Amino acid sequence: MAWEKDLEQLHRRRELAEAQGGETNVGRQHAAGRLTVRERIDRLIDPGSFQEIGKTTGAAEYSETGQLTGLMPAPYVAGLAKVDGRPIVVGGEDFTVRGGTTARLDRRKGGQGGFSEDLAHEYRIPLVNLIDGAGGSVTSAKRRGHAVFPGVDSFDRSVDLMGEVPVVGAVLGSAAGGPAGRAILSHFSVMVKDTSQVFAAGPAVVKRSLGQDLTKEELGGPAVAVDQGGTIDNVVDSEDECVEMIRRYLSYMPQNVWELPPRSTTGDPLDRCEEALKDIIPEERRRPYDMRKLIELVFDEGSPFEIQPRFGKGLITCLARLDGYVVGVVANNPMVYGGAMDVGESLKQCHFVELCDTFHIPLIFLVDVPGFMVGLQAESRGVLRAGMRAVYVASQATVPVITLVVRKCYGMAGMATCQQRGVNIKLAWPSAEWGSLPVEGGVAVAYRREIEAANDPRAKEAELEEELRIYASPFRTAEAFGVEDILDPRETRPYLARYVEAMQPKLATTLGPKARFGVRP
Amino acid sequence: MARIEIESDVTGTVWKIEVEEGASVTEGQTLIILESMKMEIPVLASDDGKVAEIMVDEEEPVSEGQVVVVLDA
Repeated sequence: MAWEKDLEQLHRRRELAEAQGGETNVGRQHAAGRLTVRERIDRLIDPGSFQEIGKTTGAAEYSETGQLTGLMPAPYVAGLAKVDGRPIVVGGEDFTVRGGTTARLDRRKGGQGGFSEDLAHEYRIPLVNLIDGAGGSVTSAKRRGHAVFPGVDSFDRSVDLMGEVPVVGAVLGSAAGGPAGRAILSHFSVMVKDTSQVFAAGPAVVKRSLGQDLTKEELGGPAVAVDQGGTIDNVVDSEDECVEMIRRYLSYMPQNVWELPPRSTTGDPLDRCEEALKDIIPEERRRPYDMRKLIELVFDEGSPFEIQPRFGKGLITCLARLDGYVVGVVANNPMVYGGAMDVGESLKQCHFVELCDTFHIPLIFLVDVPGFMVGLQAESRGVLRAGMRAVYVASQATVPVITLVVRKCYGMAGMATCQQRGVNIKLAWPSAEWGSLPVEGGVAVAYRREIEAANDPRAKEAELEEELRIYASPFRTAEAFGVEDILDPRETRPYLARYVEAMQPKLATTLGPKARFGVRP
Repeated sequence: MARIEIESDVTGTVWKIEVEEGASVTEGQTLIILESMKMEIPVLASDDGKVAEIMVDEEEPVSEGQVVVVLDA
């Protein structure tokens, strides 16, 4: 029998690869509440769909006669797989092998500039990075005999991918340096509570640099990385929830920017006109309401999938379906500062609008924005610059946009909810009001002298406010076709669905990558 | 029984306290109403449970992220 010994050796090598970093290290990984990279891949993908690449890579040991005696696999596992029947590339560091540090191979398997990125780029299929590595180490300089200039393992390909195929980054351990950077260079990132942290530099470096004594969790746990920094988009309670969320995210995404997102009907009737929408907006203008509830009442049942729910909380961004078509929903959240746009909200809106624009997902704005956030703290954070960036990004989007004002739409923050070119369709509920700035406050500024001169300044101010409020009626603007239509809130779902259906030819004939010119403010 | 800290999402002032310590509450129930940006912002119960502690008084200023109510759930 030909080649028997060689085939035997091949299978022996594969077995050694399956052993990963050895029982002790695998045990340690489990004791830390984490799965190994192979277990993660298994749980993420369609059963049995993994076709590994480079399973034979690693550092082998030989006897004096050249017989293979052992093989420590390379600390990266990657390959082709399927999610919901669609091909993807998946890869991740194997923390059980030298803590997932970089291997000395002729060609990188994964991470920035690795084979997995080449595959996603060339074949135009999504890339999922399961990140569990600490990145570079100063010891590599000793090994090589010289210090490596930053960029030898270039991020160029990672950057290109952002305009080509969906990229997901899951932080599943303590990530610093290159792997941490790779997590952020993604369209969607997620981390796991208690077992993952992410930072530019870990506690030891921070202690040495700034004298701050912090744990990994204090420095880069989700309370900082998700809630405060918005560095990572979403947080989940377990690795199982993490892979479930990645699968869900991918279900809204096309395979690449040359294809349309997949339509899938949920069976939710198109003519579902919810009575609850009629009075969801309180007549008392000081009262907020539950915008998430409003979203559920309009879009396909169970379809809204929120991105960054814990950051920039004055704004809600979610992928959803309407009549099965994927849409991106951007809604102001009146529960947080009346829905005002602060720096966090702007960052969130800019990222989400570009995400949807890139993947040809039409945008629906549900508007209730009183303006940019006001006050010294917001100004010190640069709210005006951040806010104008949202206006700029909205204006650059070429994917169809529908603007539906449910309550307030004021000022420049209001402009950031419209596509001020093309069809530029602006709809309103009867509860809508708009202008340069709300009547309250606006009156005090514009009529200052008149108010001061009055016998009863407060009464005068109230009188002027009442007078001007009449003009704020959306019907007056609609008479002039300054908004294109006013809807009965109950008919919102079928009304929007007609437009989303009608815009499909536009989407299908404008596929491909998008160049964005100019300099963002 | 878990101790659940309910934080304010906004900076503002306490307008009305809607529940008393020891009261049973259900998820989504309004515990406190704050005033912020000229809006009445409710602080809602995140879970079913009992109000263990109310950490603020009416008219008191609160800041974003401040714990205002503690629930036993």
